[in-house]
Amino acid sequence: MRHDDITEAIGNTPLVRIDPAVHGLANIDLYAKLELLNPFGSVKDRAAWHMARPLLAGAKPGDTVVELSSGNTAKALALLAGMHGLPFTSVTNRMKVPEIKELLLLLGAQIDELPGRSECLDPTDTDDPLARMHRQLASSGSGYLHTDQYFNERNVDAHVHGTGPEIVKDLDGRAPDWFVACVGTAGSSTGVARVLRQHNPDVEVVGLVAEKGDFIPGIRTIDEVHEVGLFDPDVYDTMAAVTADDAIDGLLTLSRRCGILTGPTGGAAFVGAVRRLRAVDATLTSRKSCVFIVCDRIESYLSYVRDRRPELFGRPPRRNSTGTLTDAELHAAPAIGVEAAQRWLGETDALVVDLRNPYAYQALHIAGSINLVDEVFADLLHAGLPFSRRRPVLMVCPVGEKSARYAALLRRMGHPDVHSLAGGIIAWRDAGAELVRD
Amino acid sequence: MLSLTPRIDPTIQSLLDDHDYLGELLDALGSPLAVVLPQRLQKNVTAFRETFRRHHLSGRLYYAHKANRSSALLRELAAGDIGVDVASLGELQHALGAGFTPDRIVATGPKSREFLWLAARAGVTVSADSYDELAELAGIVAGHRLPRVPVTLRLSGFASAGVRVLTRRSRFGSPVGELADLLDLLEKRADHLELTGVAYHLDTIGLPEKAVALESCLAALDECRARGLRPRSLDIGGGFGVNYLAEGAEWDRWTSELGQAVLGRRAPMTWENHGYGLRAENGTLRGSLAVYPAYRPVAGAAYLDRLLGTPAPERGRPLGELLLDHMYDLDVEPGRALLDQCGLVLARVTSVAGDRVGLDLNARDVSLEEHGVLMDPVVVPRGGDRRAGPAGVYLFGNLCLESDLITRRKVHLPVVPRPGDLLAFVNTAGYFMDFSATHALHQPIARKVAVYRSGGKRRWCLDEQYWPVHTRQEVP
Repeated sequence: MRHDDITEAIGNTPLVRIDPAVHGLANIDLYAKLELLNPFGSVKDRAAWHMARPLLAGAKPGDTVVELSSGNTAKALALLAGMHGLPFTSVTNRMKVPEIKELLLLLGAQIDELPGRSECLDPTDTDDPLARMHRQLASSGSGYLHTDQYFNERNVDAHVHGTGPEIVKDLDGRAPDWFVACVGTAGSSTGVARVLRQHNPDVEVVGLVAEKGDFIPGIRTIDEVHEVGLFDPDVYDTMAAVTADDAIDGLLTLSRRCGILTGPTGGAAFVGAVRRLRAVDATLTSRKSCVFIVCDRIESYLSYVRDRRPELFGRPPRRNSTGTLTDAELHAAPAIGVEAAQRWLGETDALVVDLRNPYAYQALHIAGSINLVDEVFADLLHAGLPFSRRRPVLMVCPVGEKSARYAALLRRMGHPDVHSLAGGIIAWRDAGAELVRD
Repeated sequence: MLSLTPRIDPTIQSLLDDHDYLGELLDALGSPLAVVLPQRLQKNVTAFRETFRRHHLSGRLYYAHKANRSSALLRELAAGDIGVDVASLGELQHALGAGFTPDRIVATGPKSREFLWLAARAGVTVSADSYDELAELAGIVAGHRLPRVPVTLRLSGFASAGVRVLTRRSRFGSPVGELADLLDLLEKRADHLELTGVAYHLDTIGLPEKAVALESCLAALDECRARGLRPRSLDIGGGFGVNYLAEGAEWDRWTSELGQAVLGRRAPMTWENHGYGLRAENGTLRGSLAVYPAYRPVAGAAYLDRLLGTPAPERGRPLGELLLDHMYDLDVEPGRALLDQCGLVLARVTSVAGDRVGLDLNARDVSLEEHGVLMDPVVVPRGGDRRAGPAGVYLFGNLCLESDLITRRKVHLPVVPRPGDLLAFVNTAGYFMDFSATHALHQPIARKVAVYRSGGKRRWCLDEQYWPVHTRQEVP
């Protein structure tokens, strides 16, 4: 398949049947619409391109594409803007997914995080930062091309002309009996639902939202959907809540058993669909079908999953780690006071290892010491002793707590002459002992 | 039910349970009446100290005096070991008079010439907001032949790398980019000014903004050191917050339902369906909820703990560890958080008609609404049985003014009050007690009393009569 540019690869994604052994439904064929196979990696490629195309066509040099997004729309717009030689700015409350944040920065996007709520609140000031931002974007000649995904009808349109008809075509001209989608901007669910209802007015549209206070990337909470201009409660026959746990369960099932590398949103859609269908499956007398959307890919959410299910990333405990020290070992760690340490350093050629961060070390340190930041030092120790057993060592940290742990560990590793500076470099300073900048 | 039940700790609860005691106080002193609980402060001080200890940090706690004008609270703190942050000439006089020694006082905020002089004369630390203020202070010290004054530099306008973290513009502090000029001035006026640290204070509950500011200030402190100055501390101001509500679920339900009410999908829950910043446009909710997050599971000392555990945006290490690494003290200036559970405001019910309850106090006597803090008051009945609630009522104030609602929110009371009963607005010592009170319409301003324990008994006195010298504490 030959294309003149990457945007031609947007859309026409496969519809893949989920193995009944995975979902366990007897009378329903469950299909996944694999939007993760769009070129930039998500269902948002369609809306981003459809919304941005007319704006980009009329863009002047120096204009900036801007969108309130902390996820896939931002990613797609950053790429589309870049193809047109324009900068992209993403305005967000908080970038909660670190991989996406890093990727956007790598793509050259600017990320603006809005300020948090005021502590000494003035409730008469309803001029919140977001409202101010909107006003700025809307003023003419601002140089901003605002795609406005939560209110832009072209977001819905992209799916009325793309996603919806594709599903119908792949089901041999019929609409499914159920359509399940997570509600983010409401663009894909609204657009697809409109098309499906034209073919089958009885299609049941299930909208999935997150519980209040929960966080699933790309899904609005029960409260937040009401702030979405495109959201119309009448589009959905059923609204149901899914949790971050559901999302991760679904992600694991689809990835491990179906070979579909879905992100949490697709996982949530799968779990939400199966939950809805299980309730009716046994009562059915004829074959039915259901389609759900797999929005995006797994790779961006490794830290999201790790934060919530660390055990999935379980590795054997590493050798020589301070975490494995016993209380007895810690108590036995040899500590030395400031005065004694000064004498000892004068009498021996002891190596002074300063565990603090390099900036702090450069600002002030004990003369002749070397700086090995504790994280780096910990890594070195996993492999073994990084210095000779014959060289005495004085471990130094701010208050003598970390240094005591490392002294205990070094001793366990067989170093015969290691000490921790009691009270740390703060005690050293308070005793009036010399600190230098070199 | 759409209750927002306040969090009440045992000290306040035992007082609320003593209906006759509160009734007699109000009979004697009139409605409204403010009650402060000076001895409850210690628990909050201890919580902050515990956070310092956990992070191995030293440094000072300064009580932000502006949160309450009470003498009793100030004197109680003077008897302990924490400091005080004063933001006016009057507050400085008050603090000196309460027994704070100058080394325990920091002067902040807008400063008149007189304020600067008294600060310099007494030798308190001055947190300078600008180059001009620093120069004026040096001039006063030189002109009046005063000893060197300890100063900290309040900085603002911090820039983040990578992600641009936006922050509200502040009236206070010098742009961090002008640090070099400030240090030039300090070097030139070394005989008059002695740098002890730098400071920031951001009016936000957002940790990322504070993380950027804290890390920038550390770099500024290192720059001071590189210039041969000997700064000791980083003052991160206050803004640690208070958790006002007993249950998060109530808060979640109420805020969800408010959106529905504004969209017209349920009956109004506020006077004239006020949206607290939310509004409906074509069936979509616009605007943002402009109220204090009354349910805050992480507030006060726990918020400080969270901040110190937050990784620095540039250097990656937790901020608390960075402070330690660089050997700086941490100074904090909590106001609201130190006064958590340290007071309440009482008012008499004057009328009850349907869902309208009239009170002998006005919205300025307990300025919860002005600060966007939503929580229900507690009914203190006086004699006889009350009709069981719950009662959803609007609270009207004693000013002849349409807007004088104590809160535009319909509050929910467990029983239906009668005229003569009291309503207690609990946990209002921080900012809601006397911050906005006025004599408008010749209505009285609340008298303030301190309630305390001495010799195993509960006692009270007028706020200005309270001194932390209880005979039983003294060893003959």
